[in-house]
Amino acid sequence: MTAISVISSYAMIGIPNVSLMDLFVFISGYLMGFIPGVLVGVLTWLVYGTLNPLGFNLVILVATCLGESLYGFVGGLSARSGLGGDLSSARVRDKALWWVNLKFGIIGFFLTFVYDLFTNIVSGLTVGIPPFMAIIQGIPFAVAHEVSNFFFFFFGCSALVMSIKKILLKGGENL
Amino acid sequence: MSGRSGWMWVSFGLLCLLAVAVYFAAYYYNESASYKRLYERAAADLKRLTMPVNILIDYGNGTEVWYNDTLVPRESTVLRVTEIVAEVDYIIGEYGAFVTHINGVGGETNKYWIWYIWNSTENSWSWGPVACDRFILQEGDIIAWRYEQY
Repeated sequence: MTAISVISSYAMIGIPNVSLMDLFVFISGYLMGFIPGVLVGVLTWLVYGTLNPLGFNLVILVATCLGESLYGFVGGLSARSGLGGDLSSARVRDKALWWVNLKFGIIGFFLTFVYDLFTNIVSGLTVGIPPFMAIIQGIPFAVAHEVSNFFFFFFGCSALVMSIKKILLKGGENL
Repeated sequence: MSGRSGWMWVSFGLLCLLAVAVYFAAYYYNESASYKRLYERAAADLKRLTMPVNILIDYGNGTEVWYNDTLVPRESTVLRVTEIVAEVDYIIGEYGAFVTHINGVGGETNKYWIWYIWNSTENSWSWGPVACDRFILQEGDIIAWRYEQY
């Protein structure tokens, strides 16, 4: 999952603040539990944040690792709280599936909201900008990140969870 | 979905929309404040670099046009100021510029464009003491161009 997450981030590096990384980290937590989810988040940023053409900053790297781990943690929490229930029997025409998708979308949005708020404040303080100004200046990027993540979580979360569960249960070769 | 849980998620969804709306409001408020500051700075610069003058153009046929509080660059000459408010044709003579046409009016036999400056102590118009391209105006000066017969 870390590899997929890292690869997707590099593949989408040209689109500022739009990436499937958060979705993959969330799904890792959802499917494998809190600790693996948190680890996927941290490992992803350790690779992506260190070998990044946009530059390296240790403080920001720590902040992004912490922020990203939240996706994995809440992913695990969502699975434990029964969010999504039994997705394996869900069909595209089921209203229940779209309701679950909406919940995933909302979770994705809020997690990204918290992540952006946290990382914008840390980035601002790192370069000497007051937190309020850092948030204001980061708004266009935050909106792009949060809205895109809403749609990624809305359309991708349950579909990926179902697909990965099938692979895990039946084995990829039997699908 | 249970009723209470459903409404909770709907509320969360609305909170998402609220967050986006707040973001947009904050962003555009900040942008407007930033542009307002830029505008005020530009206006202050403009005030520092310009001065208001009043210009009258009397076409000699009963038509008089006033250009009041016209902002012109500081240390502008009468000719420069006139060129700001009207189309001016002139020739350069021994004593300086001689205006032949203003806004297409001019060139008639024995009729000339003469410029005046308002003398506030005597409350009357005085002839321009030098050619219009050699007289530097001060803030608040009032000048007049008259198309007159001699």
